[in-house]
Amino acid sequence: MFIEQRQIDSNEERRITFTSNILITLIFVFLFFSFWNLQVLKKDHYSLLSTQNILKEVEIKAPRGIITDRNGKILAENRLSFNLFIIRENVTNLEESVKSASELTELSVDIIRERIRDFRNYPGFYKILLKRDLDFKKVIFIESRSDIYPEFTIDQEPARRYPYGSSASHVLGHMAELSPDKFEVMKKEGYALGDMAGVSGVEKNYESELRGVRGRRMVIRDNIGQIKKTLNVEEPEIGESLVLTIDIKLQEFIEELYGDYNGATGVVDLSTGGLVAMVSKPNFDPGFFSSSFTNKEWLALINDDKKPLHNKFIQGLYSPGSTFKIVMAIAGLNEEIITARTSTTCYGSRKIYNRVFHCWNRRGHGSVNLIEAIQHSCNIYFYQLGKKTDIDIISDYGVLLGLGKRTLIDLPNENKGLLPSRKWKLENLGEKWYPGETISVAIGGGMITSTPGQLLSMISFVALRGKRPQIHLIKEIRRGGDKLKEFTPVFEKVNIREEIFETVIEGLYKAVNEEGTGRGAMVEGLEICGKTGTQLILSLENPDYKKLVKLRKFTPHSWFVSFAPRNNPRYASVIFVENGGDAGRIAAPIAGKIYRRLFESE
Amino acid sequence: MNDFLKFFDKITFMILILLIATGAMLIFSAVQGGDNNYFIKHLIKIAISLLLFSAVFMIKTETIFRWSFALYIMLIVILILQLLTGKIISGTKSWIKMGVLSIQVSEFIKIPLALILSRYLVKIPILNWRTFVRVIAMVIVPFVLIALQPDMGTAFILVSFILFSILLRKIKISIVIISLFVFAAGSYGMWNYMFKPYQKERIISFANPSKYSKSSGYQIIQSRIAFGSGGLTGKGYMKGSQSRYKFLPTRHTDFIASVLGEEFGFLGTSFLLLLYLILFYRQFNFRVSSGEEFYFIYLFSGLILFQFIVNILMVTGLFPVLGIPLPFVSYGGSSMLAFMIGEGIIFKMKVENFLQQK
Repeated sequence: MFIEQRQIDSNEERRITFTSNILITLIFVFLFFSFWNLQVLKKDHYSLLSTQNILKEVEIKAPRGIITDRNGKILAENRLSFNLFIIRENVTNLEESVKSASELTELSVDIIRERIRDFRNYPGFYKILLKRDLDFKKVIFIESRSDIYPEFTIDQEPARRYPYGSSASHVLGHMAELSPDKFEVMKKEGYALGDMAGVSGVEKNYESELRGVRGRRMVIRDNIGQIKKTLNVEEPEIGESLVLTIDIKLQEFIEELYGDYNGATGVVDLSTGGLVAMVSKPNFDPGFFSSSFTNKEWLALINDDKKPLHNKFIQGLYSPGSTFKIVMAIAGLNEEIITARTSTTCYGSRKIYNRVFHCWNRRGHGSVNLIEAIQHSCNIYFYQLGKKTDIDIISDYGVLLGLGKRTLIDLPNENKGLLPSRKWKLENLGEKWYPGETISVAIGGGMITSTPGQLLSMISFVALRGKRPQIHLIKEIRRGGDKLKEFTPVFEKVNIREEIFETVIEGLYKAVNEEGTGRGAMVEGLEICGKTGTQLILSLENPDYKKLVKLRKFTPHSWFVSFAPRNNPRYASVIFVENGGDAGRIAAPIAGKIYRRLFESE
Repeated sequence: MNDFLKFFDKITFMILILLIATGAMLIFSAVQGGDNNYFIKHLIKIAISLLLFSAVFMIKTETIFRWSFALYIMLIVILILQLLTGKIISGTKSWIKMGVLSIQVSEFIKIPLALILSRYLVKIPILNWRTFVRVIAMVIVPFVLIALQPDMGTAFILVSFILFSILLRKIKISIVIISLFVFAAGSYGMWNYMFKPYQKERIISFANPSKYSKSSGYQIIQSRIAFGSGGLTGKGYMKGSQSRYKFLPTRHTDFIASVLGEEFGFLGTSFLLLLYLILFYRQFNFRVSSGEEFYFIYLFSGLILFQFIVNILMVTGLFPVLGIPLPFVSYGGSSMLAFMIGEGIIFKMKVENFLQQK
């Protein structure tokens, strides 16, 4: 019965069944061994790849230490900034990514391309910063479309905020993102690509204190890099905070006194050497560097003719002008070339070494002794003194008083200035010194240059009768509420008889209080002592002097170095006004206003 | 009824239920944290499939064979109409919308095609040029229509019918060789004129996955990572990171086996292989008295075997990614429905065969 119903040959059927059994056996043995190979033998290899897919260590940037003024007013703090990055390994079409990045950041396609090109030697998973401080609306827009933009990520990180805007900009300095070149150098210290670091001011000088310690977070990411889970967090540690010696209110007050003039001012508390104000005009906005600035704005800032990033107080090199007469007086007295009573008659000009030298007062000062010469800033007196003093002695006294060497203030990139000597000229110009050159040096002219900071150091030395305070900006370094370090005042003592200082100070006192050149600084009740300096840009011999001097750029620079009160002085200051004109009318009154404010507030 | 229960192939049915349950469980894991609708929809489709599986038992095998050609023609007409008017859903025109459920007509052509082929193979003594060309013609018509949709995966599976026809009937070796030559020429033509760029890329990337690690080679690499990192015992149910964090592509459909491999390891994949092995062994070794039924069981089970192999080779990186679901396991209602209807017919044949012998 079974056989009858078959329409198919049973041999045939057996052949087919046999063949297919062999076939499936072979297939399954093959599949079984491929799975054995893939899952058991290669497990370690693929487990590693699987872990690499999801696990990622994410850095948490440390908030930077806070900077306050001496009264606890916050000068620099942190806010949150949303920064846009591109990750090359997630890019499918570079041209399209560049285009969308340009739309999102409003930066030009070329800038985006250049940024990406800058990091072309870095591995594909490196996050390349495209823009800092993204607008919050854009942040939401991008985050909500992470599936469309797998190549972009946004990180929150602390950024600098400066509540007083551009005030005290040169004290604080500014931050900038590490360039790839700089990163190569700083990577050893644990910096990451795209980190910001201080490049000027105390932000730079105290970078290692302010920086803090970055945290770490182990996270699980999905296929488009979105964080799904955090496994383990090592919190970042905020940087140490700085308390400056600056009084921000005084700083602002001085900055306003400058009006549209440029220049530099330093005011030092003589009991410690701490600067209560350090001004360099024009200011810049340090917050600009942590904002989302455009390339054009940046170029405009660094190419500005007025050089706002330049700190005139420690970097500006100018002839000290008549303020240098203080050095000459001390040198003359201590070397016993002159005494306080030595006098000279000033006729307005004098022929020395066959050349006519002028006094600023063409009608002449008549007979003047040293004190009167300082009081009225008589050039002829100091030409005479210069003629009798060797250039090397002048140079030595200059160094003794703080010129021609760095003040060692706690700021980066300080300039040294120049105090010429025989040796210097021979080494640098290959020429011997001509005595005629000494005459110009005697009134602070010639090749001599100094920074406002050096002149502040000099006048402090005089005010304290031979004790030079180390000028500085940091009062304390704190962590949380605890003081870590406090600046202990350092004074350098020089052995010069006190009566020499008293003689010079007598002149400085009279210059302000008894109708001298510094009378513009006089404040009733404050015994201010000071010396003006009006440094000509044009030579008096220039035939067009009278016409040209009216142009701002040919107007002389104004100096005023001073301290108060005369006995047991509390503060010293240097005022420098670029192209300010007559120092007695421009620089000296600024000093007067500063002292009035300083003593009023007590 | 008692006889029915006695002769119903309970072991093979158990295997099918285990495959379907494994699939549902894996789909639940694969779509976790995403659209849970997939799981619910899949359960509904399983229910409908079981319903249709039982419904097939109401119809006599004879009736099924009698209507098969008309059904074949009807589905061909629908495929043509679809090509002319169909809307494009996820890149192809293969879907017909029926309320919330979409139906892929191309999946159903397998059943009448297997039926008419087995009827034809019984009638002919040997595969000669005339008869072999007819077999090919019956397969090539739906193949081309489906490939044009374009759905290369589903079309490609139909090739198994030709292979199994050769196995089932004697054929001259010269015919096979010449056919292979024509096939090669045809493939070359298809490569240049029919494949879409993304399909070409998939096939090229298969040869060198790491070079294409961000596009389609990426899928192969991630799938291999899923299997490999699963190890012997797996990462645990719902705990596969490749699947959970979406590194696995189309993990609820084509790459469902990778989810199994990652979460249950080599033991899981071996279990799956074992289920399939028992299924194929039992279907291929059943002695049925009628020739056309015997051919149908072989052609239809052969198709499932072929699809199973292609899918497994694809997810382990040994075959280009073509978009072919794993039978009974992957998400995809039309494929499930078609397979369960086909299995229904096979189960019915077996029961009837016992009843006749008795």
